[in-house]
Amino acid sequence: MADMNQVLFVSFLLFSVGVAGVLIRRNALVILMCVELMLNAANLNLIAFARHSGTVGGQAFALLVMGLAAAEVAIGLALVVALYRKKDTIQVDQINLLKG
Amino acid sequence: MIMEPALLSTPLHSSVLWLIPFLPLFGAILNGATGRWLKNTKVVDFFALGSMAVSFLLVVYTFIQLMGRAPVDRSVTQTVWTWLTLGDAHVLGGLTTNTMTWAYKVDPLSACMGLLVTGVGFLIHLFSTGYMADERKNGQYYRFMAYLNLFVFSMLNLVLGANMIMMFLGWEGVGLCSYLLIGFYFEREYAAIAGKKAFVTNRIGDFGFLIGFFLIFMVYGSVDFDTLMGMTRTILARPEITLFGLSHAPTWWFNLIGCCLFLGACGKSAQIPLYVWLPDAMAGPTPVSALIHAATMVTSGLYMIARMNFIYVNAPVALSLVLFIGALTALVAASMGLAQYDIKKVLAYSTVSQLGFMFMGMGAGAFSAGMFHVFTHAFFKAALFLGSGSVIMACHHEQDMRNMGGLRKYMPWTFASMGIATLAIAGIFPFSGFFSKDEILWKVFEGWYAGGTYHGSTLSLVTWCMGMIAAFMTAFYMVRLMVMTFFGEYRGAGHDPHGLTVPSEVHHAADDHSHDAHGHDAHGHDAHGHDAHGHDAHGPQEVPWNMWVPVFILALLALVGGFLNIPHSLHWLGSSHFSEWIAPILYQVHPAEGPEAASSIEYILMFVATVIWAPAAMGLAWVFYGADPTWARPRAFVKRFPELFEWVNAKYYIDEFYEAAFIGPCKQLGAQLWAFDVWAVDGMVNGAARTTLNVSHAAHWFDAKIVDGLVNLVAWILQQVSGGFRKLQSGRVQNYAFVMFLGFLVFAFWKFLAC
Repeated sequence: MADMNQVLFVSFLLFSVGVAGVLIRRNALVILMCVELMLNAANLNLIAFARHSGTVGGQAFALLVMGLAAAEVAIGLALVVALYRKKDTIQVDQINLLKG
Repeated sequence: MIMEPALLSTPLHSSVLWLIPFLPLFGAILNGATGRWLKNTKVVDFFALGSMAVSFLLVVYTFIQLMGRAPVDRSVTQTVWTWLTLGDAHVLGGLTTNTMTWAYKVDPLSACMGLLVTGVGFLIHLFSTGYMADERKNGQYYRFMAYLNLFVFSMLNLVLGANMIMMFLGWEGVGLCSYLLIGFYFEREYAAIAGKKAFVTNRIGDFGFLIGFFLIFMVYGSVDFDTLMGMTRTILARPEITLFGLSHAPTWWFNLIGCCLFLGACGKSAQIPLYVWLPDAMAGPTPVSALIHAATMVTSGLYMIARMNFIYVNAPVALSLVLFIGALTALVAASMGLAQYDIKKVLAYSTVSQLGFMFMGMGAGAFSAGMFHVFTHAFFKAALFLGSGSVIMACHHEQDMRNMGGLRKYMPWTFASMGIATLAIAGIFPFSGFFSKDEILWKVFEGWYAGGTYHGSTLSLVTWCMGMIAAFMTAFYMVRLMVMTFFGEYRGAGHDPHGLTVPSEVHHAADDHSHDAHGHDAHGHDAHGHDAHGHDAHGPQEVPWNMWVPVFILALLALVGGFLNIPHSLHWLGSSHFSEWIAPILYQVHPAEGPEAASSIEYILMFVATVIWAPAAMGLAWVFYGADPTWARPRAFVKRFPELFEWVNAKYYIDEFYEAAFIGPCKQLGAQLWAFDVWAVDGMVNGAARTTLNVSHAAHWFDAKIVDGLVNLVAWILQQVSGGFRKLQSGRVQNYAFVMFLGFLVFAFWKFLAC
């Protein structure tokens, strides 16, 4: 049984990798994947705290987040496809229509 | 309110009366609107002549209706619509509300005028179809016919109108049509100038007419002829009339009104001093001269005076003025006619002179005699004018009588017609002119004769003498015209044994008839001359039937027309139908007296006039011009008195006098006003403009530098400030996400550090 701190550390790493990916990578698909990483880091935390407190509310919440992530990916991928059709690219740095 | 007098008659209401004037109007509109595109000018003929014919028949129908009624009830009226309502006008009787209607009235006087206008008008339309044949080719024909129909419409409004407004409408309408028709060949300057002269001269007369018209309205509070006539007795019964702060007896006001109206009549009917436009009006086509400037329009002044007889019989001064001016015009114009060579100019002065005779009749108080001369004159003068048109056409648009001669052989119908008309105008028994002219002269003489006492006014005697001299001259110049035109040898086509001809003015100014609207190139004229009616090779020829028939009908009317009004002294010949017919519209000063016994003095005067006086003048003219083909006597006369001849031939330089005395000063005044306009008014306007310009330059500078500067400063500051914020809006999703992340971190640190 791993220590609570170790789990949280892994979770922190996962989340940091996700944040860095979202902020640094230019490919919209990769950004979507990094968002998944962040979500899963959150899931890991939820489950860790659920075990720690001996309740199942966290686990149930993690399941909900998984469903939500699936929906999010569906919408996100659809957006990416639409974007590609419109602009012939999925490089987010080339999409700056709202530049002031 | 003004008391409505009981009307004398019970008029018959008709619903077709409006068609009489409006049919020619429809003809004018149809032809005027569509004629330009009609290839076949016969269609134009159909509309123009058809409307005239139907209109004539309607007048005849109305005339027969009138004949079937009692004399006092001879009146047919129709109110077509209400024209305008005048509210609360201040007139003599106080405030009045007057409704002016578009109404027509046919009574004995206007019925006769209507017959004249439509009947003679129709004949002249028919003549025009031949005379204006040249215009069929150049597309001006429809315009002529439309104007002619429009003229008839206006003239019928004038004579059939039931009130003064309608009369004034027609009065101005005929003036307009006269202007349009005199200037029909407007591309020639002299025709355009003649039209302008006629119009402006008439305006002077119209001024007087309008003043008289306003005065009548002020005195009576009405413009309706029947009402005016019925109220006259009430008005006259007033001790005095006060208008505009002036108090005078009614007769004084009637004199003023009569003089003002007579000024209008002077303009329209070409009397001294406003007669100068009529001779110049000969610049129009000859049918126009016959219809407008001889038979109808120039008689509208006479018609107006006859219509206003209730004013004139109560205005002795105005009546004397009419008498004197008429006699003076008759004499002066007749003398001018003696020395003219242009055939139409002779007839023009003859018309002015005959109009003077008519005014003499009016001035003598013999309205029916004056009006009767209007009708007989319309017949014989229209015949003479149309005949002269035929002559001019046969002589290839030559108007100088010295270049004519001998046409009797070539144009028998025209010669016969003009011969009859000449005898009529000269006053030979039993032609119509004898009856009408001698009736006038007798009435004038009667003013002095005064029932055998010879105590009448001297003016009557003087004017009678002037009239007799004018009658002598009339016979002389008419025979001179006939002899120069129809007797002897034809002097055209280079045949001139006695050296009488003068260089033809056909191709210059005096030509009345259009050769060609598009310039005077020789080719155009020759081509026209040959195909229209042969040329010099054939000599003059009789004109086609549609030209000589109307002339002949008019001549027949001139022959028999006189028997409609036989003077009292010749009652074994017939009765004075015309005078009796017209009597109901005349204002009776005293209860009607029984017919006077024929006086022996009237017989003697008549006999002298027709057997000695007129034939003597005719004989003199024959001796001068007919018996001797070289015209030695008149030429010797001219050589002996060159100044006298020159003076008369130049019409006493009256045109030049007017030019120097009135037109010149008017032009100078105009020039002065123009100079004032240019220097003072334009200067002020330009100065104001310049000031405005300078002020606006300053305002522009202020606007551009100060106001715009402030606005731009605000904008500039905003732009600088917003530039910093603008950079935040990069449009890159990851920038936003990074800022969001930073914000989250700040929030987290602040949250946890604060704990």
